[in-house]
Amino acid sequence: MKVLLAEDEPDVQLIARLSLKKAGFAVVTVSNGIEVLQRVAEERPDAVLLDWMMPDMDGYETCRRLKADPATASIPVIFLTARVQEAEVARAMALGAVGCIGKPFDALALGKQVLELLERT
Amino acid sequence: MTIRNRIFAVVGVVIAAAFLQTLIVLQVEGRRAATAASVDRAIWRLENQADLGRVIVELDAALRSADPGGPPAPPAERDRLWGLYERAVALLPSYLDSPESKRELAAIDALMREWRRTPPGAESAALMGRVRASFDRFETRERGRLGDERRKASSQSLQSTLLTLGIPAVAIVMLLLLVAFVARILLDPLKAIATSAKTISAGDFEVSLPRESKDEIGDLVRAFREMITAVQRRQREVVEALAREREQSEISAALRTKAEREHRRLRATIETVPVALVIVDAETGRIALQNRAAGALVGHEPGDDAAREAYWRAFGVTTRDGTPVDVRAWGAERVLQGQMIVGEELVVKHADGREIPILVSAAPLREDDGRISGGVAAFQDITSLYEVDRLKSEFVSIVSHELRTPLTSIKGALQLLIDGRPASDPDHAMLLTVALSNTERLVRIINDILDISKIEAGKLELNARPHAVDEVVKQSLQNVEPIAHGALVNLKADIDAGMPAVHVDLDRVIQVVVNLLSNALKVAPPRSEVTLSARRAADGFVAFSVADRGRGIAADKIGLLFQKFQQLDGANTRKARGTGLGLAIVKALVEMQGGKVSVESEVGRGSTFTVTVPIAEAVVGSP
Repeated sequence: MKVLLAEDEPDVQLIARLSLKKAGFAVVTVSNGIEVLQRVAEERPDAVLLDWMMPDMDGYETCRRLKADPATASIPVIFLTARVQEAEVARAMALGAVGCIGKPFDALALGKQVLELLERT
Repeated sequence: MTIRNRIFAVVGVVIAAAFLQTLIVLQVEGRRAATAASVDRAIWRLENQADLGRVIVELDAALRSADPGGPPAPPAERDRLWGLYERAVALLPSYLDSPESKRELAAIDALMREWRRTPPGAESAALMGRVRASFDRFETRERGRLGDERRKASSQSLQSTLLTLGIPAVAIVMLLLLVAFVARILLDPLKAIATSAKTISAGDFEVSLPRESKDEIGDLVRAFREMITAVQRRQREVVEALAREREQSEISAALRTKAEREHRRLRATIETVPVALVIVDAETGRIALQNRAAGALVGHEPGDDAAREAYWRAFGVTTRDGTPVDVRAWGAERVLQGQMIVGEELVVKHADGREIPILVSAAPLREDDGRISGGVAAFQDITSLYEVDRLKSEFVSIVSHELRTPLTSIKGALQLLIDGRPASDPDHAMLLTVALSNTERLVRIINDILDISKIEAGKLELNARPHAVDEVVKQSLQNVEPIAHGALVNLKADIDAGMPAVHVDLDRVIQVVVNLLSNALKVAPPRSEVTLSARRAADGFVAFSVADRGRGIAADKIGLLFQKFQQLDGANTRKARGTGLGLAIVKALVEMQGGKVSVESEVGRGSTFTVTVPIAEAVVGSP
């Protein structure tokens, strides 16, 4: 199972990558939305993990574009964000995301949480 | 006794006197008439007597002629004379009053008769002589008596004349007395009263009135005195009333002045309060009064009626969720029915298009009788409250994000370490470094937050002293050296020679410069240069500048740089994120030390941040 992880904070990106690898995921990391859109077609990930706040293109816009493009609309999107208030989660769901994982996440359970969200769809 | 009675009495006395006088006059006149009659009789008698005398003289003469020595009287002549005598003597006795005269006449008559019988001659002549002598005596006595009677009549006539003249005089005197009396009892008091009335009408109540006699004048005087008392009392009352009225009017004038002053103060207060106030008249539904804030709220200055009417139309009210609201139905009618509106939210449209959230409070205005004559409404612009609210949630959001990010790294690193791989794993050291550097980042964030809250609370104290510029530069560069090294950025210092000492809090100035350098290092591309320079600026300042060759900042974003929690998304690589507080702290610290912050930037070419601080010599009182 392959995930595309977009996270602009290098340290968080490192932790998330190590966590997911530990859970058996293949992980491709990028640091912003534009890179996601550039890499998604070539990588064909099973899921996209998006940080909410990223420079150049944030998580919302990236998700909107992924869902707007028929070629990528079917790829499940999971937000990885410090913003886990109801309104934010609702907004993410409205954009077509399958779920949100709050920060700080559980580095030992991150892979399991991703799998659970993917199974729901 | 009343005057009427007195006048009746006086008139009675006068009438009695007149009556008495008349009686006296009648009596005197009677006596006078009697006297006159007796005098007439005496005169008549004397005339007869004279006849008798003449007869006697003639007889005597006749006798003498008849007697020796004279021609004898013819007998016829003697008879004629005798006849005359007898006629005369026959009449005379009835007129004689006194018996003496009658006796005398009888004696004369006896002699005459003797004479008659005696033939002419000596003897008869002798008789005649005797007759003549007797007659002379008789005549003398009768003439004397006649004189007496004449005197008596004359005296009585004088008396009568005096009486005739005296009675009118007495009457006049009595009339004068009457007049004087009337004058005394009537006119004098009346005159005195008239004089008093004049005196009083001139305003002087100190008048002497006639004594109060027990008559009509007395009544008048008493009434007049009572009138004076009443008038005086009335005047006193009027004067007191006037005084009271003046006092009242002074009081009411003072009250009016006070009320006007209060009104002015109230108007000034209403004009000054930052809350928009509007008073609506119930009858017309129009705005009777609005203050400046009310006009400013929607961008309509208070003006004429039309402008005020336009106010409501310009109000463009909606509820918070955007539903249009008819402000009359929503507010005016409720208030005019006596309801209060307390702190309800609406949104109005400003003339410039801004939507302004307001808090509406309104209350009916009641007259004394409880009738609602209008309403007063207060509109509070709560934009700033929303702004504060927004900033607060943004702060919480950003801070929580900024805190969560390093926490995520620390937590994740530690979890992965504990979960356990051998220490030799190359990831092991990396995870420990992540945990440490993120811990340091947490400390920095917390320090920034503490700094900004201290600055905002005015509790940040600076310890400014003279310090060499070199010292600031050296310590700042030392501080960021590791970061520059890690970022593969070349740090350069460019200090003019002979820089004066600066008057600063050394730690805080280093914090400022380090902050600027850190920002520059975050945006500087690898192998580029970041330059810290120090130059003498105008007006006793030294300028520290930090220049980078980063992407630069768009002109329209520069204004946001120094605001709290502003992070220039998009224009920045966000390679190293901060709290959004750094430049706000820089600005505050520099300005607290008397300096200024400025930025020059060009997109694609990089940015130069400059701060100025005062030269020690330029600071009065610095050691």
